[in-house]
Amino acid sequence: MNRILSFRMRIGLAIVLAMLMVLSGRLFHLQGLDPAGYAQEAVSARLHTVEVPGTRGDILDAQNRVMATAVEHYDIVADPRITGDYTIYDEQMDLQRPVTVEETAAELAELLSEDRQEILEKLTDDDTHYSVIARSVTPETRRKIMELQAPGIYAEPVSQRTYPSGAVAGSIIGFMGADGPLEGLERAADDRLSGEPGQRIYEVGADGVRIPTATYEEIPAQDGQDIRLTLNQDLQWFAQEAIAEKTAEYNAQWGNATVADLRTGEILAMADSETVDPAQPGQSDELFRRPLALTQAFEPGSGGKSITFAMALEEGVVEPEDAFDVPDRYTVDGETIQDARPHEEFPMTAAGIYARSYNTGTVMIGNQVDEQTRYEYLRRVGFGEPLDIGMGIEAPSRLRSPEEWDNRQPFTTQFGQGYTGSVLHMVQLYQMIANDGVKKPLSIIDAYIDPDGTEHPVQTEQERIFSSETSEEMLRLMEGVVDYGSGRGAAIEGYRVGGKTGTAQAAGESGGFDGFTVNFIGVAPLDDPQYLVSVTVHRPEGRFGDWDVTDTFSEIMGYTLASYDVPPSGAESESYDGFVGDRQEYPW
Amino acid sequence: MSVLPVTELRPARTQEGSARPSQDDRPALKALPRVRGRQKGLIAAVLALLLAALAAVLVVNIHVANTQYRVVQMQNEHQSLVHENEMLTQQVQHRESPQSLSNAAATLGMVMPAAAGTFDLETSELVNGAEEASSHNRPTNFVSTPAAPGAEAIAPVDISDQVDGAPTGLLGAGALHTLNAFDGGQNGAGVETAESGGAADTGGGTIPAPRLN
Repeated sequence: MNRILSFRMRIGLAIVLAMLMVLSGRLFHLQGLDPAGYAQEAVSARLHTVEVPGTRGDILDAQNRVMATAVEHYDIVADPRITGDYTIYDEQMDLQRPVTVEETAAELAELLSEDRQEILEKLTDDDTHYSVIARSVTPETRRKIMELQAPGIYAEPVSQRTYPSGAVAGSIIGFMGADGPLEGLERAADDRLSGEPGQRIYEVGADGVRIPTATYEEIPAQDGQDIRLTLNQDLQWFAQEAIAEKTAEYNAQWGNATVADLRTGEILAMADSETVDPAQPGQSDELFRRPLALTQAFEPGSGGKSITFAMALEEGVVEPEDAFDVPDRYTVDGETIQDARPHEEFPMTAAGIYARSYNTGTVMIGNQVDEQTRYEYLRRVGFGEPLDIGMGIEAPSRLRSPEEWDNRQPFTTQFGQGYTGSVLHMVQLYQMIANDGVKKPLSIIDAYIDPDGTEHPVQTEQERIFSSETSEEMLRLMEGVVDYGSGRGAAIEGYRVGGKTGTAQAAGESGGFDGFTVNFIGVAPLDDPQYLVSVTVHRPEGRFGDWDVTDTFSEIMGYTLASYDVPPSGAESESYDGFVGDRQEYPW
Repeated sequence: MSVLPVTELRPARTQEGSARPSQDDRPALKALPRVRGRQKGLIAAVLALLLAALAAVLVVNIHVANTQYRVVQMQNEHQSLVHENEMLTQQVQHRESPQSLSNAAATLGMVMPAAAGTFDLETSELVNGAEEASSHNRPTNFVSTPAAPGAEAIAPVDISDQVDGAPTGLLGAGALHTLNAFDGGQNGAGVETAESGGAADTGGGTIPAPRLN
């Protein structure tokens, strides 16, 4: 008996020992070899990380009106491993009611206005455990979908952009695609708008439920900065309506109206004849998805004569009332310069040449300065260099150096031909002429605003280009254009207005010229220059001389002056005489 | 390790045949000490404490569960309020957009302004005279109006629902009445105005002109 017992005990002991060996071996394996690694593996098997997106910043106008903002929408996703038939408690019938996956698909299709078959395929696709059923649905739709209580269908919050003002400044604001920003400020300032996503980390048990007492960490998301523009939403709309009307009148390819505060260089409106609606970018022609003032380069035409006149005044080679005999044809160095229309030879002042925009007289004045200096002035006012206002698009300008000029270019460049620039190049030019000769770089972004309200204004550096005297004389020359020159339609009752008309030939795609660009840039009030409006119409239909954009100018300028509370002064014009002698009336 | 036979482990004393201790000398064998009265009370107290703790845990659990339920409910409520607020903000922003304002103004029969008159207060002179606005000069409509937000979601708030709580007079329900009664385009028509108190007072408009005594 004793023997048997001891034998059994030995066997049992041996088994116990063997098990102990296995356990201690495993213990040694876990605790001795790589304890930290195993612990880590266990934790990471339980840890779940969910990305928490930061809220995208708003885009505001100068009066803090929202032009683009983010609202919470939801992506509806399905996990086809879990979706399927299920039962739901029906309150009306007071019993459990079975619901097939086909019925779920039908209900979803109705709520999302999508194809039922497509949704069913997504719900039953066994190859994936993540299929997106609908993107960016409203909270209301999400609520209705969640009320179905279908298993395996989730709503993931996503940020959706809305543009309350639609097509007002649409090309400037830009728009978003499915994978991110595509155009405009949405793209150019994406780094500042988007912020930093945060994380939510927690542990889940084997049943998929969060373990309440375990790790719970939340790295808060950093919201993006807001961007306040210099634009005035109402003025932008008014300018868009006005330029669209003018462009439609001439059935032109495009039109642009730009308004700037010339004392600060701030762009108040940059309106195109047609503007993309950021909510439906696909519906607009590609041309109108970006600001035309930045993308389109054209020959400035007579508007470029201002550079020649400002240079001549600055260099002291001419005074505004110096006399010239101005014919309609003028030959110099074997090149004949013609005016747009034939006319008699007039005894004119420099101011008169500017007001009537005669090419011949302009070359007479410009030729008093050497070629290199003329080129340098063109460069100084910004031509030949791209212009950047922080929109991610550089406004192009082409100006060859004098060495590359052909025989004609030394003269044509004096009256705005033979080089190109954008609307903004022209606006910048007149800004510096009218602002006492001081260039304030054009800007469209006023400030970046942190989520806590701290503002970071965008600073620009000013630079003196012309003297005060030149600026003053140029303003009086520009007043002559409106008083008795080529831009009489630009007058606004009660205000002193100055400006310059311009018509240039537009180069066709296949070389040569096959159209025109008509523009007018004006400044008001001349007693204390504050605002600048540029109106440009590209390729209007009709014949040369049929077009007049000054009425659009005075409409927009009148609205600008009224909305910024600039009172009319009723002051007398200070324009120079256009002709030598007492007689001031001459035929055109 | 070897196992000794049980016999070898027996104490040597028995084999020596020494006298066994008498029955009386044996200590009383008992598994538990005798329970005295005082100890009974203690046990009852411990049991009561245990029960109380159990009950407390139960109560706390129920409370936590209930609170959790309320938290979830309130979170849902909060979320739906946030969504509603967001929707209302979007509606306000939409109505503030220049196109909507222009459309609303045109619907009320407004036209584009003409030049305003200006006086110089220092010299008492008229700087420029006012012009009469043309009733045909309506705002153009080249810039499309953005889609109203939430058309498929929460119905836009109808301000006339809130008439009851609004102050009376021209700023409250009266203004609403004015807005609702004349839906625009009546410049110079004078039909409604004649009914509502004489066209002479209103000059063809809807708001009575100030009178000179």
